[in-house]
Amino acid sequence: MEYSDFLQLCDQYRLGNDYSLSAKILPVIRKFIDQPSKRKLPVIWLETSDSGDNNIAFMNTTYPYLHQVFTDMIDLLYSNTFMAAQGTDALNLLFESAKEFQGQYVLVVEGAIPTKDNGIYNVIARTKNGDITALDAVTYLGGMAQYVVAVGTCASFGGASSAAPNTTGSVGVSSVLNREVINVSGCPVNPDWFVGTLGHLIMYGKPELDNLGRPKLFYGNTVHRHCQRRSYFDKDDLAKNLGDMECMFSQGCVGPRTGSDCPYRQWINHVSWPVKVNTPCIGCTNQDFPDASTPFFKPLPEKSKGKQVDSQKASDKEKGEKHEPAQTTI
Amino acid sequence: MSQHKLLFSPVTRLSGLLSVELTMDNTYISEADACCTMFRGYEYIMRNRHITDAVYLTQRICGICSTVHGAVASYLLDKIYDNDIEENAQYLRNIMLAADFLQNHIRHFYFFELPDYVIMPEQPPFLQQNCLDCRLDEEQNHRLAGNYIRAVKVTEQSHQILALFGGKAPHQHSFVHGGVAVAPTADKITQALALLRDIRDFAQRCLMPDTELIASCYDDYFHIGKTAGRFLSFGLFRFGEKNDNPLWKSGVLEDNQLTQPRLDLIQEDISHAWFQRTKWMNEAEPAPYKHGAYTWTKAVLYQGKHSEGGPLARMVINGYYTGGTSTMDRIVARSIETLMLTELMEEWLKKLQPGTPPIMQKKQIVTSQTIAVTDAMRGPLLHSALIQDEEVARYDIITPTGWNFSPKDDSGNRGPVEMALVGTHMYSPDLRYVIPGRIIRSFDPCISCATH
Repeated sequence: MEYSDFLQLCDQYRLGNDYSLSAKILPVIRKFIDQPSKRKLPVIWLETSDSGDNNIAFMNTTYPYLHQVFTDMIDLLYSNTFMAAQGTDALNLLFESAKEFQGQYVLVVEGAIPTKDNGIYNVIARTKNGDITALDAVTYLGGMAQYVVAVGTCASFGGASSAAPNTTGSVGVSSVLNREVINVSGCPVNPDWFVGTLGHLIMYGKPELDNLGRPKLFYGNTVHRHCQRRSYFDKDDLAKNLGDMECMFSQGCVGPRTGSDCPYRQWINHVSWPVKVNTPCIGCTNQDFPDASTPFFKPLPEKSKGKQVDSQKASDKEKGEKHEPAQTTI
Repeated sequence: MSQHKLLFSPVTRLSGLLSVELTMDNTYISEADACCTMFRGYEYIMRNRHITDAVYLTQRICGICSTVHGAVASYLLDKIYDNDIEENAQYLRNIMLAADFLQNHIRHFYFFELPDYVIMPEQPPFLQQNCLDCRLDEEQNHRLAGNYIRAVKVTEQSHQILALFGGKAPHQHSFVHGGVAVAPTADKITQALALLRDIRDFAQRCLMPDTELIASCYDDYFHIGKTAGRFLSFGLFRFGEKNDNPLWKSGVLEDNQLTQPRLDLIQEDISHAWFQRTKWMNEAEPAPYKHGAYTWTKAVLYQGKHSEGGPLARMVINGYYTGGTSTMDRIVARSIETLMLTELMEEWLKKLQPGTPPIMQKKQIVTSQTIAVTDAMRGPLLHSALIQDEEVARYDIITPTGWNFSPKDDSGNRGPVEMALVGTHMYSPDLRYVIPGRIIRSFDPCISCATH
């Protein structure tokens, strides 16, 4: 109802001394209240094989703060971490929500998906009819979602949960789903990247993605390109130890082959980031993190080969490359 | 007499994935199996990597208590390289560690515990809350639910202190072997003190009164969820050049006898866990189909017995709390510890001397096999490493939730949480999740850590 209509309605009934005005307005208001909000995204959040760090990172979001995200942006219908319901009540909410909001909800997955032995290494709930593995749940719920968002590097690419020797056969979400997945990588994710992606989905739809399925907005440039210490690198002025003020390339920095805006954005209310505290970037947003980032404190050319899935990234390892293209450009 | 099984799955509002299978004898819990249903294999992941990778990589075991894994790995490496830790580094390390404790304890109380006792707004993520045993009056309820929102900000501020010195959170970067890579400077110290002031105000004006209110309205929980009261702590907040002087002392407390923990008396038992021993090297390897097993957490025993760790154990061992071993004792001890930490952090921040980054990493390995311990948020944490040419040959991790959520040992003795559950009267079927949920959460379970 428009404001002018409302005034007109009040005007019409101003002389009545009974409750006819309320009788007229209440149904209108009730209709408005009952109408599902168009702006809020229904979200189902599954925690699978990871450390829960992306949950904690999400709690660290500032403007919007966590409660503002709950109130203004999303309806968090299932979340092992936050939901008040427990036991079968929680599980019923999961399946009822998926049915009610089929085709409309966002499935957020935090964690890798073990695939060995039918995924028995990660069970999100046990029921009288058997265990529900992460593999079952993500396959089932992923198929009915409007968007699937993989939050953190484990969910995006397997991450630390799939690090060698990968005893559990863990993979990223996109490897078990036959559909597009929006990867918001990071170990953990920076809350701005995740909440920013949600904001994009709410206001503008799907963000533009790079060739790894990540929003270009956050991952489109390398850490190296925007690093405050780039001038040291260009002059070959390298740190001798952790704690030094010079370029951290010598201390194992993976910034040259890591797509992320950490130098600009920084962490926890934007106060700092790893290079600012005189330590290397360890490339936690990368597809081959952590295997291609270890040994963490050895310079890039001395690191283990890792999975080396992206030949472009491998070539970026060459020291001295200048304006390295973001790994998203062709 | 009727006996039946009750499957409590998932147990929500905790870190990681947990189910609990209860056996009911009429209205009493006669058996409990705590099933931790996730496994990643960090002890394998650590192998063949450079030993210094442990500082950053083991933090990935856990999101809510990452700093303490980095801390114990740093202590381990300090032994391996025989580092000397400067005084500024000692303070900075403990400030960062305590900041992560504040984050953990306050989030645990407000995000995880509160919906067990307080009626939350009827909107996601609080839909279908069971409010049948919520006992606060309307005004009290309104106040505590409002403090949930205030807790959002102060816990972010706790992590801001950590990030100010550590670069990011979770998984901070500067607290490494040899010291701390960041310089304590006047601006950072001022900023941290201001942030801490807000957190301390919150602890005094919200957390403590809210804890007291819940403790008084739910005082029956001082009799529910009791354990054997065998407490273990590895000590907390290490000072000294060699990290050998914890501010809060370590100890094993049994029958009012306090002794010093001996690491050689700790032993893991896999009889009810999904592991089997390999023939060579006698290692535990995953066995997901093992008969009679029900969890990915190995039992861990001290001198053949289960032991409980956490804020209650620390507070009791150090003489800051006297009370029982119940659900509410654990909650109250955690809040008291939180307030104490805000006071300690202020003291440490004021003792910092502005200067250069207090870090000196030696390069020569002096020992190839060592163990480091500390208490973490939830209790005793141990990392041990065997190395060969600077590479990890074997890495073992024993976590606090491993102690508290131990499955039964080979003689069938129960670990702390199972013991706390058994014997509980479920006086109303409508509270079948509420009552055990409160008991379980009072341990602040972290299943990601327990199973790693």
